[in-house]
Amino acid sequence: MVTTVARDLAIDLGTANTLVYMKGRGIVLNEPSVIALNRQTGEVLATGREAWQMIGRTPGYIVAVRPLRGGAITDFEITERMIRLLLQRVGVSRFTRPKVVICVPSAITEVERRAVTDAARRAGAADANLIEQPMAAAIGADLPIDEPVGNMVIDIGGGTSETAVISLGGIVALEAVRVGSFDIDAAIQNHIRREHGIAVGERTAEEIKMAIGSASPTGEDSTAEVRGRDLMSGLPKTVVLSAEEIREAIEDPISSIVASVVRCLAKAPPELSQDFLVRGMYLVGGGGLLRGLAQRIERETEVPVKMSNVPLEAVVLGAGHVIEHYDALKGMFMGVRR
Amino acid sequence: MTVILIVCVVALVLVVGLAIRSRRSRDAVADFRRQIDALSPEARKDVTDRVRRIGETTEDGDDSGS
Repeated sequence: MVTTVARDLAIDLGTANTLVYMKGRGIVLNEPSVIALNRQTGEVLATGREAWQMIGRTPGYIVAVRPLRGGAITDFEITERMIRLLLQRVGVSRFTRPKVVICVPSAITEVERRAVTDAARRAGAADANLIEQPMAAAIGADLPIDEPVGNMVIDIGGGTSETAVISLGGIVALEAVRVGSFDIDAAIQNHIRREHGIAVGERTAEEIKMAIGSASPTGEDSTAEVRGRDLMSGLPKTVVLSAEEIREAIEDPISSIVASVVRCLAKAPPELSQDFLVRGMYLVGGGGLLRGLAQRIERETEVPVKMSNVPLEAVVLGAGHVIEHYDALKGMFMGVRR
Repeated sequence: MTVILIVCVVALVLVVGLAIRSRRSRDAVADFRRQIDALSPEARKDVTDRVRRIGETTEDGDDSGS
């Protein structure tokens, strides 16, 4: 997509996917946060979906990487190049420098905060401000956060899971863990390696999760046939996995996520706690789509859990609302004194 | 004479200080009001519309897929 004049942008810089919202236009880009580089020359060969298709399938001189892990920048230079290319694709150049609002996990450190804003400014943004993901998610999920009532949002992303209680436009209680859907994929990879002696890539692990993964029994006894490389012989091998064994394999990351939701509930003031029983909690983020997760959280907290209508887009839509009302909402930016 | 001058200066500083503090307090109230208004359902109508449109698109996709 190419436009001649860059308008202000909101970016959900996620570990798994990057979404860009353009002021007055809506979501203009939604691509995996992956970049493919020539290992020898350092040149960028592909970004987004094209680079994602290369993961685990590249010749030796190409490397396809995710520059963000656990919601944090693991490679500053590569992230900057990825942001620069993404901004170019939505029309940003050295002559059209927009204001940019970037959604980041609320638990990031001061150093990580500076790394993200610096990367955006060097990539062409005139001004870069950060907003906490749960806050943006609550706006995007259309929760009444302007009212003095308890709104609870659970955002399960690729690298982080955050639970926040929001009232009167501010975060009242917050709990974040650096566990997300990539940790669930990694748990599946480890299980298959340990129990079946075959190696599978992260894309295959994600496909298994989507096909038969669940956080609590769903009543279906499904199976999946998986092909990988036998660790002993090195030859291709096929195994059949059951939904139950995958459920057991991913128990650790699921327990961590559910425990953080419980801790957040415990932090909430009693006046707001009673609101959750009536209004429920809202689940957003790609990780929230895991079968049985809403039911599992509901069972362990005894609070109703509702799925957002736009689990994957809620964060960027919320940040988009902030960029549409920039002056009125700039007090919500991270690091602004309130 | 010097004492009177000092008292006048101190009084002036106090008056100016109180005026600035009062204005800051009014600004803080106005900023908070503006922020809450910008988060109201009326102001978020654009978000609500986009959520509905995406929801409808997803449902259409699901229907065609099944």
